[in-house]
Amino acid sequence: MRINIYGSGLSAWVAAACLAKVGNDVVIDEMAGGWQQSLEEISIIADEPGLLVQIQQQITVGRLVRRQRELDMATDIHWLALQPSDQKVAERVVDSLKPLDISGLLVVNQCNFAIGATEALQGKLGKLGDIVYVPDNLPEGAALDSFLKPMRIILGLDRHGALIKTKALFKPFSGNLDALQLMSSREAEFTKFAITGMLALRLGYINELANLADQQGVDISVVQDGMGADPRVGHHYLAPGCGFGGQNFAAYVSTFSGILQQQRERSLLKTVLDENELQKELLFRKLWQYYQGDIKGKTVAIWGASFKPGTASIDHAPSIKIIDALVSQGVNVKIHDPEAVANLQLHYGHESLIQYMDEPLLATEGADALLLVTEWSEYWSPDYVKLRGMMRAPLIIDGRNIFDKDMLEQYGFEYIGVGR
Amino acid sequence: MVAVDSTKAWTELQQHAAQLTGSHLKDLLNDAQRFDRFSFSYDKYLLDLSKQRINDETLKKLIGLADQQDLKGWIERLFSAEKVNDSEQRAALHMALRQPAGGLLLHEGLDVVANVQDSLQKMQALVEQIQRAQWRGYDGRPIRSIVNIGVGGSSLGPLMVCEALEQYAPDEMRHLDLYFVSSMDGSELEKVLPSLDPATTLFIVASKTFTTVDTLANANTAREWLLAASKQPIELINQHHFVAATASPEAALRWGVPEDHQLLLWDWVGGRYSLWSVIGMPIALKIGMAQFREMLHGAHKMDEHFRLTPFENNLPVLLGLIGVWNINFLDIHAHAILPYDGRLAQFPAYLEQLEMESNGKSVNRSGQRIDYRTCPVLWGQVGSNAQHAFYQLLHQGTEPVMCDFISPAVRYGDDGEELQEQHQLSLANCLAQSRLLALGDSMLTKDEVPSSYKHYDGNQPSTTLMLQTLDPESLGGLIALYEHKVFVQSVIWEINPFDQWGVEQGKKVATSLLEKLAQPEGSDLDASTNGLLDYIQNQVQGMKHEN
Repeated sequence: MRINIYGSGLSAWVAAACLAKVGNDVVIDEMAGGWQQSLEEISIIADEPGLLVQIQQQITVGRLVRRQRELDMATDIHWLALQPSDQKVAERVVDSLKPLDISGLLVVNQCNFAIGATEALQGKLGKLGDIVYVPDNLPEGAALDSFLKPMRIILGLDRHGALIKTKALFKPFSGNLDALQLMSSREAEFTKFAITGMLALRLGYINELANLADQQGVDISVVQDGMGADPRVGHHYLAPGCGFGGQNFAAYVSTFSGILQQQRERSLLKTVLDENELQKELLFRKLWQYYQGDIKGKTVAIWGASFKPGTASIDHAPSIKIIDALVSQGVNVKIHDPEAVANLQLHYGHESLIQYMDEPLLATEGADALLLVTEWSEYWSPDYVKLRGMMRAPLIIDGRNIFDKDMLEQYGFEYIGVGR
Repeated sequence: MVAVDSTKAWTELQQHAAQLTGSHLKDLLNDAQRFDRFSFSYDKYLLDLSKQRINDETLKKLIGLADQQDLKGWIERLFSAEKVNDSEQRAALHMALRQPAGGLLLHEGLDVVANVQDSLQKMQALVEQIQRAQWRGYDGRPIRSIVNIGVGGSSLGPLMVCEALEQYAPDEMRHLDLYFVSSMDGSELEKVLPSLDPATTLFIVASKTFTTVDTLANANTAREWLLAASKQPIELINQHHFVAATASPEAALRWGVPEDHQLLLWDWVGGRYSLWSVIGMPIALKIGMAQFREMLHGAHKMDEHFRLTPFENNLPVLLGLIGVWNINFLDIHAHAILPYDGRLAQFPAYLEQLEMESNGKSVNRSGQRIDYRTCPVLWGQVGSNAQHAFYQLLHQGTEPVMCDFISPAVRYGDDGEELQEQHQLSLANCLAQSRLLALGDSMLTKDEVPSSYKHYDGNQPSTTLMLQTLDPESLGGLIALYEHKVFVQSVIWEINPFDQWGVEQGKKVATSLLEKLAQPEGSDLDASTNGLLDYIQNQVQGMKHEN
């Protein structure tokens, strides 16, 4: 099939790579002159494991084309993968399809605009074709796998006629599924927001419990195990930490919170978002309290800056809030991250208080504290003796609860975790 | 030296006033050209004196009086850093606070403008740190609430401006809550503290001398509150929860504010002229540093207008001379300040201090008692509210009163028709009241001939001061206009407007009375005070017995 994809974010590129991989002829329209950037320069591609290679392969074999100027638009399948703020752009795309005069158009809408947005686009397209909403559930860091072998596919469609073509389009990816989940576009949009919001609520709740555990002399990891063992609760999304981030997750939650707030003065989700912003500074506050505010001129090591392991992205990452706070207080910051350093350098430009180190241990040299912000696997089991020797003060503040407290104390460290 | 009331210009004005006695404002206002002749505009300000009981001759003679009193020379001396505050041997350089960077003004060998800019820079750094949510309280969370502790000039100016310019608060500052605490009895603090989170509250202790009892009492209470809530050592609390705005860095340090968090002003800034300095930090926290500087710019433009414009068109000079005319020649000793704009609600209270503390004097610069009137009793309120309160006295009472009506011409540009109509309603009332005060019954039609208790004499003079809009720049200019008006009057009256000996003695007496309250037995003060001390003692004892 021939497919035009509109968008330049992660979901657009992953869809382009995967749809081309299974044999479709795909044209990606990055909008606003995006094609002038080389693929290697596009961080969203470079940050996602395996994506760059896959895109390059599909371009080489000719199934994927980056649209420059006026390419042949006469195709019947159009795929919208735009940012939540780009609803007007989506409307323009749909308008531009009308003069093509092709009947039986299929427009796949993967954008998280608002509840009812797909219906509105359908209204614009009229009788020329059908718009189907397919929520994008790509986890950053594992997006390709998730697209190629999804656990489930929700299809939000309002007209039965669209089903045949839609099923055919998703057939290569839905082979191992018993059934696609069918619902109206409005219900599918609501479901997408509801899932994301639910995850945020769980994280917000466990973080609040962790902060309470700190004051009550209770170890949250024990509580967490106990909670998770109850099948009504389960273990997923129950790890406390120093706040959630990421381009997609944060943006969706915030959009949904906006929708909820149109109805009410204050929503549960808004509270969670506000608290999450505070939670991102948690490690800074623990450091501040430990040193009673006397941190000017001290040196702090940071392990991990990407918003989660497996990505170079620092979008809405807690590390940014922590580094901002440290630099504002005149603290020297030495950072190690396996992938995010280039993005940090871009974000901070020249800042004399920040150093980027190639080795985790080097970052801890002369440090008055080590803050573990992102739990990359290489941090889980360091050489404790060397680490102890490097640091000026043996203080470890663990934002992801990956270290064993008793063990660290045996090595002569002071350990501060989240809720333990 | 001949006192001003024995001079030629003064006597001529007395004779002129006697000639004008019979003329009522309703007659003067028959002249269709009157507004053209007696309204004066500069930049975004219009000063309308056509409802004052004056004619061309009056203004000429008043300017003659100003010339005779060497107003020009005094302005020159004021602006060139001479010690115009002779009783304290100080210059009065509040104009230097709003002079743009790069200017040069030397005072006792110091580059004043450079000093001012340094101080503003330091304030800007602190303001921006708070704005970026990077000023941390004792538990590491960012400061969200700021409480200004100060009294008199360290409170009235910043409070007035913050209320007036609230709408200009930029989005990035709206997460900050600002409070003002001044009264020595702790009432305001008691009300504010329960709603605040100690960990995220910063106190600005604003005191030029850092010995003001009212302010230190409040600051001590605030610190105790922080210590009790935080269970942290006092050094930590001092370091992270207090800023001092002061001219006495040693005293501030002794109290506990570290040097990094001290913002300096100088003894050549009078308290009631200090909102332009670091005392204005609450203003910068409310509207941002860029707009704070716009306010300074507006005031600086008014300074230049005052310094350079011939008296015939000089707004502060004219406003000052009209006051002298009303007080000394028309025998009017009450002055109502009536803003027709709720944002200026605190402006009358601000002017009460500016005018009465500056010119409420009865000894001239040579130390001689004077036997002419100086600053009148001055009070006011938002005009449309005052209409339901004290306007009765303005219209039908026995006291002659002069009024200043103040209003922006344009408001609510983008805010919808209903609010724009409310501004129209307010303007209509402003114009109606000054008209009725001037014309009295004569503005009524023939068939509305009133009974005696519905009778309006009219002939109450008023000034109308209009701003194009109320914004940081125009408010800066408005305040500077009144500051200079006060100076003009002081020159005519030959008094020093920059000292305030009348408020010093009370402080000393209070200190001695504090001891008497603790040890009331055998008090040897006046009979009334002895009696009151006894009464208080009895009540306290009575309460103790009940418990």
